[in-house]
Amino acid sequence: MNASHLRTRREFLVSLVFLAAVAAVPLFVTSGYLLGIVIVAMYYALLAIAWNLLAGYTGQFSLAPTAFAMIGAYGTGMASYHFGLPPAVGVPIAILVSAVIGMGLGRIVVPLRGPYLALTTIAFAEIVRHVARNAHEYTRGDFGMSVPLISSDRVMAFYLMLALLVAVQVGLYFLLRSHAGLYLQAIRDDETAAAGRGINVIFWKTVAFTVSGAICGFAGAMYVHFSGLASPDIGHIFETGLVLASVVIGGIGTMIGPLVGGFIVQFAAEGFREFGLRHMLVFAAMVILFVRFFRQGLWGLVKNAWDRLFGQGAARPARQVKEAGE
Amino acid sequence: MSLLRFENVHKAFGGLKALDGVSISLEAGCMTGLIGPNGSGKTTLLNVLSGNLAPDQGDVIFDGRSIVGLQPSAIARRGVGRMFQITRLFRRLSTLDNLVTSGCAFGLSFHDALDRAERLIEELELTAVHDEDGGNLSGGQQKLLEFGSVFMGAPKIAVLDEPFAAIHPHMREVMVRFIRERHAEGHGFLIVSHDLPVVLGLTDDLIAMNAGQVVARGDADTVLHDPLVIEAYLGETAVS
Repeated sequence: MNASHLRTRREFLVSLVFLAAVAAVPLFVTSGYLLGIVIVAMYYALLAIAWNLLAGYTGQFSLAPTAFAMIGAYGTGMASYHFGLPPAVGVPIAILVSAVIGMGLGRIVVPLRGPYLALTTIAFAEIVRHVARNAHEYTRGDFGMSVPLISSDRVMAFYLMLALLVAVQVGLYFLLRSHAGLYLQAIRDDETAAAGRGINVIFWKTVAFTVSGAICGFAGAMYVHFSGLASPDIGHIFETGLVLASVVIGGIGTMIGPLVGGFIVQFAAEGFREFGLRHMLVFAAMVILFVRFFRQGLWGLVKNAWDRLFGQGAARPARQVKEAGE
Repeated sequence: MSLLRFENVHKAFGGLKALDGVSISLEAGCMTGLIGPNGSGKTTLLNVLSGNLAPDQGDVIFDGRSIVGLQPSAIARRGVGRMFQITRLFRRLSTLDNLVTSGCAFGLSFHDALDRAERLIEELELTAVHDEDGGNLSGGQQKLLEFGSVFMGAPKIAVLDEPFAAIHPHMREVMVRFIRERHAEGHGFLIVSHDLPVVLGLTDDLIAMNAGQVVARGDADTVLHDPLVIEAYLGETAVS
């Protein structure tokens, strides 16, 4: 097994331990309110994982994760509201629509990098949100659409969301272990080199946008069947900020970071709720702090501390490696 | 039949003519050195070949078919291996993963890519940095790693842009030995380098460029004594 696989497996195993701990929450917490917070945290974790696939593993700094969540939310919401379709039909429709739109967006932004990609995707996200706000006939605009609950039992809703989170995490693990995962990371590190080694950059970037869009759409669809309301607020730019903060704080380009980051951000957001949108100031400050001083995020801090304590070679300074070579 | 033909290739950047009617033909299994002063158009020519730049005019025929307009990845898979002047590798993937990724992209199974990568790591003396991220390697090791990545496929021609620049003499020896062995197996090489002694140690077939044009082609003696080459590349002192 090679080094990347070992690193990915370690992160995956830690994430499974974390998810196992989450699974135990309903055994100790009976408050529907608190379970609801954890469900929403799982929703943010899903979006963070999906965005991390794009930004952390493929190097595509898209700013549209919550736009795809909104597409998923309205996909199943409209299927239910207008056609009376149950979630079992609406959610797959939502995933399909999100994936197709993700593929389309991916194909369009393939040549774009850096600020151009960020601006294009944020423009796309705003267009989607304004369409949802203004297409009253189909979306009921700012009133939002009532959507049936996936389960009236909050514990059941909790485990459904957890099942989705586990499935996405396992799927991501196998994706990263495959040659596809290596291609995505190669594109992240150097697109020109990747193309020069025979990697079809256009195809694999499009795949990343498609898969990420599908996961976000799935998360959005499940979220509205938990909250009971599809509204344009799901795609608000502040929501995107929370997703980005989750990934940066947890650790970008890792399997565990976005998962834990999603929980941290949701719990913090809940804690600061009385301050309204001013809580975004706290997240902004945290992101600046992490980007400036702890670029590897919390997982990087934990990993480095572990390596120092138990003497893993991973923490060996690059200079030593260079000196060994020359 | 030639393996690679540039046919009257033009490329301009604004008013600067980087390539001005370049026509070159290379045979399969060639070992050719491409020399010229900075700004003569060597790297632009390689970028046109590898699909990173489209020519304004002219054609590039590889293995009997035009490759103009193809994606760089498609050109690479057809057998044009490219090593860049500024080292390009996957900085957050380990040495092994850099090679395995390239192998898989060139069509090897994961298992075969792993086998070949392990052999190359040994051959290129990168064993000490087997599991290190590419970004942690020294400049020379990175060059060797990029070089090895080209040979995770089976390039009909390996296009090396300044492979010997700023690397340790021992690493240069490793690379030269590797080039000789692969050339003996039938792989072609087009080597751009300012390190003339090393190039001359590898090949007697030289192409000299200046101001976007091919000014001389032939054996080392012919090219290095060509007045245009002396004037453009070697300087007046070389005449004496």
